[in-house]
Amino acid sequence: MFIQQLINALMIGSLYALTAMGATLIYGILGILDIANAGAYLIGAYLGYYVYTATGNIVLAFLAAIVLVGAGGVVLQRTIYSPILAKPRTLSIIPLVAAVGLFTMCSDAVRLICGPGTKAYNLKFPVDAFHIGNVTILPAWILIFALTAALLLILWFILNKTKLGLAWRASAEDPEISGVCGVNTHVSMALSYILGYGFAAAAGIMTGILYNSITPALGDVPSYKMLAIIVLGGLGNPLGTVVAGLLIGIAEVFLSVYTTLPIPKDAIAFVVLIIMLLIKPSGLFGQKNKV
Amino acid sequence: MKRRVMALLLAGTMVFGLGVSAMAEEAEPIRIGFFCPESAPSAAADGQSSRQSAELAVKMINDAGGINGAQVELVAYDDGLDTKEAANIGEKLTTADDVVAVVSGSYSGPTKVVAPICQDSDMLMVSAYAVHPDVVNAGDLIFSQSFPGSVQGTAAGEFAANTLGAKKVAIVAVDLDFGTEQATYFKAQAYKYGMEIVSEDYIAISDNDMTSVITKIKDEDVDLIYSVNYYEQASEVCRQAALQGLDCAILGTEGADSWQLLETAGEYANGLYITTNMNRDDENANTQAYIDNYRAEYNMEPDMVGASVYDAFQVLFTAIENVGTDTQAMKDYIAGMKDYDTVTGKLLYYNASGSAVKPVQVQQVVDGEYHFAATIDDEAIIDPANFE
Repeated sequence: MFIQQLINALMIGSLYALTAMGATLIYGILGILDIANAGAYLIGAYLGYYVYTATGNIVLAFLAAIVLVGAGGVVLQRTIYSPILAKPRTLSIIPLVAAVGLFTMCSDAVRLICGPGTKAYNLKFPVDAFHIGNVTILPAWILIFALTAALLLILWFILNKTKLGLAWRASAEDPEISGVCGVNTHVSMALSYILGYGFAAAAGIMTGILYNSITPALGDVPSYKMLAIIVLGGLGNPLGTVVAGLLIGIAEVFLSVYTTLPIPKDAIAFVVLIIMLLIKPSGLFGQKNKV
Repeated sequence: MKRRVMALLLAGTMVFGLGVSAMAEEAEPIRIGFFCPESAPSAAADGQSSRQSAELAVKMINDAGGINGAQVELVAYDDGLDTKEAANIGEKLTTADDVVAVVSGSYSGPTKVVAPICQDSDMLMVSAYAVHPDVVNAGDLIFSQSFPGSVQGTAAGEFAANTLGAKKVAIVAVDLDFGTEQATYFKAQAYKYGMEIVSEDYIAISDNDMTSVITKIKDEDVDLIYSVNYYEQASEVCRQAALQGLDCAILGTEGADSWQLLETAGEYANGLYITTNMNRDDENANTQAYIDNYRAEYNMEPDMVGASVYDAFQVLFTAIENVGTDTQAMKDYIAGMKDYDTVTGKLLYYNASGSAVKPVQVQQVVDGEYHFAATIDDEAIIDPANFE
């Protein structure tokens, strides 16, 4: 059972990492907690569902949702976040309030347009499950591991091996100095939103496939849990987010199975966060000057 | 001559006036208050089912000429599954909306808030499917159309012992009144029959992941999972149990009584038993008419929530038809109803607390559809008064 639970935990943790990655990238460059990322996760899941239902092609569903939601992210950045941040002496809570409003609008829009009921992906795999001894592995889990690894690899490549990535890292480090040095920070911001919202859309589709169910409430839990993960990982650090996602997945599974905690499973992420902040206030991989 | 003309004009005016007054009386609509959780994302599907059934009930009665010639008007609110909003709605319905009675199409939380407001304002309320006993305990003007958790949990225990022959049971329940109430009474009945409850997991309504819970239960070698969850979580219990290779029966509740579970759990729902209050195979004309009308009106499958709301309106319509809209008269009439045919089977009577006493239905998913499996009609189990 231990190995099975460890696999369960890593699967959930991978999904958390991918879900929170978008918000991490956006925090990294703009310094705002973009809760609207959970709206991208929700809309991505629904877009993917409609494309898959219409075409029967899940790859196309992923691509369409990632591209459309990523493009939507850039539109939001240009029309809402950048104008807010451009105003002098903007309180840091203002973009957060805007993000909360956007997320609420996304949830209600999805409920009103797509209906309040559950929708099922009904993605059929060649086999239902792989049984190795007493351990079960579902094809959906393999898809989650593989896609998470692939998307994180792409992210690593873009950030570390391309000029675009160099510009992103420079902008994240110090937007003013990098701007003076000729880095186009607008492009870096757009890249954050394309990748951030695209990742969230992919995570939404994976969640829909994993539970074979999407509802307008899909983004509710990620909207607050992703905050715990990105803060735990060290605000704006992609590697920290992966480790934090896996850590939260492991903590949730093992604490809920092996102990009788008087708190809901969803609250465990915040307990872990509080413990971590007491020990290391900058988070797992955070830089002191960024907190 | 002048006097005669004046007299004729006066008489004509009086006759016309009487006619107009009679027409005005005829046209006076009967307003019925209603609330359900339409905008709460986690309950919106039940809210939709609830609202649609309320509107269907009103449409059907109005199409048939109304109640004693008067049309019925629905004054509907969305409580958003928010108790603060429910309190506002309760105040509006009892002070500003000029309604003659209220139907709750919502969960226990909002209904528990509105019930005492109605009672204190001398307003009759029929709750459609809220399971918490505090709803009817608010007073003698509050009736419940569905059975409380005590009845359903005990009936589930009875079915688990006598029909399924369960010996080792794992409980997976939603961490709300709905889950804890039914699990408590299920356990009491299970212990009575010597069953062993090997694990109990209470899951937050926001948490759909059942993977680790089912892995744990797999090691416990149970022969029954009692799943007191709403359809999304119940669907995951069915899917994970099948995919992880558990060889045991699953017994759910009315929370899983939804076409949406059949959609998301698919083939993995086959074999699932649920305790509920609607028997879709019932040959009763009311039941089949409701199912047909609902499908025709909304192009959707009806569920227990909608059927219970529809029944609550039928009870109210029948009372108004027989005794008018006086609150005390309606209360006395409903309290005295016996063997009343509803969409959800025969309502035997209302007990002293105002809870409907009626048989508990057990349905089973066969080839992707709910079908009759059993009826539990032992009055020692189905009368909530036995658990007070």
